[in-house]
Amino acid sequence: MNWTVKTRPITLNPQRAAKPGPPSPASTTANTRVSNGLKEFLWLIGDVPRGRVLDLGPIWQSTVNFFVEQDFRVSSEDLLRAWKDFLTDEEERIRAAAVGEAGQRLSPSALADRFLETALQYPEASYHGILAWDLFDYFDPAALAPFVDRLSNLVHPGGAILALFHSRPTERFHRYRIINEQSVELIPAPTIAVHARVFQNRELLSLFEQFRSSKSFVGRDQVREALYVK
Amino acid sequence: MWRKPNEGKPSQPMPSSGGGEPYSPTVLTPAKPEEPLRASPTPPPPPQVVPSTPAPSMASMILTPPSSPSNVSKINAGLKIHGEVSGDTDLYIDGEVQGKVQMTNGRVTVGPKGQVQAEIEAREICVEGTVEGNLKASQNTQLGPASKVVGSVMSPRIGIADGARFRGKIETVRAPRSPKSVASEASRVEDQQETIGAKAE
Repeated sequence: MNWTVKTRPITLNPQRAAKPGPPSPASTTANTRVSNGLKEFLWLIGDVPRGRVLDLGPIWQSTVNFFVEQDFRVSSEDLLRAWKDFLTDEEERIRAAAVGEAGQRLSPSALADRFLETALQYPEASYHGILAWDLFDYFDPAALAPFVDRLSNLVHPGGAILALFHSRPTERFHRYRIINEQSVELIPAPTIAVHARVFQNRELLSLFEQFRSSKSFVGRDQVREALYVK
Repeated sequence: MWRKPNEGKPSQPMPSSGGGEPYSPTVLTPAKPEEPLRASPTPPPPPQVVPSTPAPSMASMILTPPSSPSNVSKINAGLKIHGEVSGDTDLYIDGEVQGKVQMTNGRVTVGPKGQVQAEIEAREICVEGTVEGNLKASQNTQLGPASKVVGSVMSPRIGIADGARFRGKIETVRAPRSPKSVASEASRVEDQQETIGAKAE
């Protein structure tokens, strides 16, 4: 898919076009954020009939509703929580192991490999779009490459990954759910992982070098929405 | 002098909460499988439902009440079943089930203590506990706030409460037409044909 070829503007579903009148309650809440990255992401995958989307955050009714109404099939896997649970189990395993047994600590990339034996188990090229909200900032940088490789394999050629990065350490952990085609709601959530690092542009380009193109939008809240197209 | 009114006193004692497990239906008390979706320490918003076509009314967003208590089969906590469970009644699972659950015309509720490693096929599916397996409902599926589901969901409508944990695919499918609606449609067509025949005569 080439976004220089596609014509604009496209509204995904005419029924969902902005209606005149007062804004909906969702759009007026303090935690709602206009997301140009989401808009672009939807524009990229919007013309795929019965497209498939993988949301790597927790499951939300509004997000599922949104994609189902657009005739997408949705998969959901809360990767950060699963990773956190995996690390907790791993710690338990090490603590429980007797001396001399397989209780040695694994390297971050080996941990990631082991985790991916059970996580993100989908056929190759099975998704047209992947939503990776606050995710990569929260992983151990040394463990990140295997995740990006796996996600890259899951994306259909021409598909895209939308990822969020923070330009400064975050004060509070949030989850995201889609309100409409250009707004997401930030849900304050208990911290399940600490913000590990702030990525530089160069590092991101290197990390996602398998992708054909990238585009990013930086908001006033220092959140960078990056779109990587395979 | 003020007197404490008596009408505020509940006529029946509330069931014990069981140490943080508010829903532990027993054989004596009829199960209310839809309640776990509504009651929690922080009440979640009412579950919404993804419509296929046509969009359901708000009334249909809440699961229909279960059949009479005598019509609900129960697998209580502490009971383990390996194999296939099938039938036409409603089923409440608060124990452990491994294998397959097929209640094509009934409603399957996995209670807060329920642990299911099985495919579930039913008219309605409501999960408050843990399920590893695919869910296939002909009418609707509800995932409660404390539910954990790993597997795919195929259902005309799906309701997801905040806090539900889910890993898998969601696919909304068209609801099959009930025999009743098919019969009424057929009788309507017959009536029309008779009217046309009468006019022709």
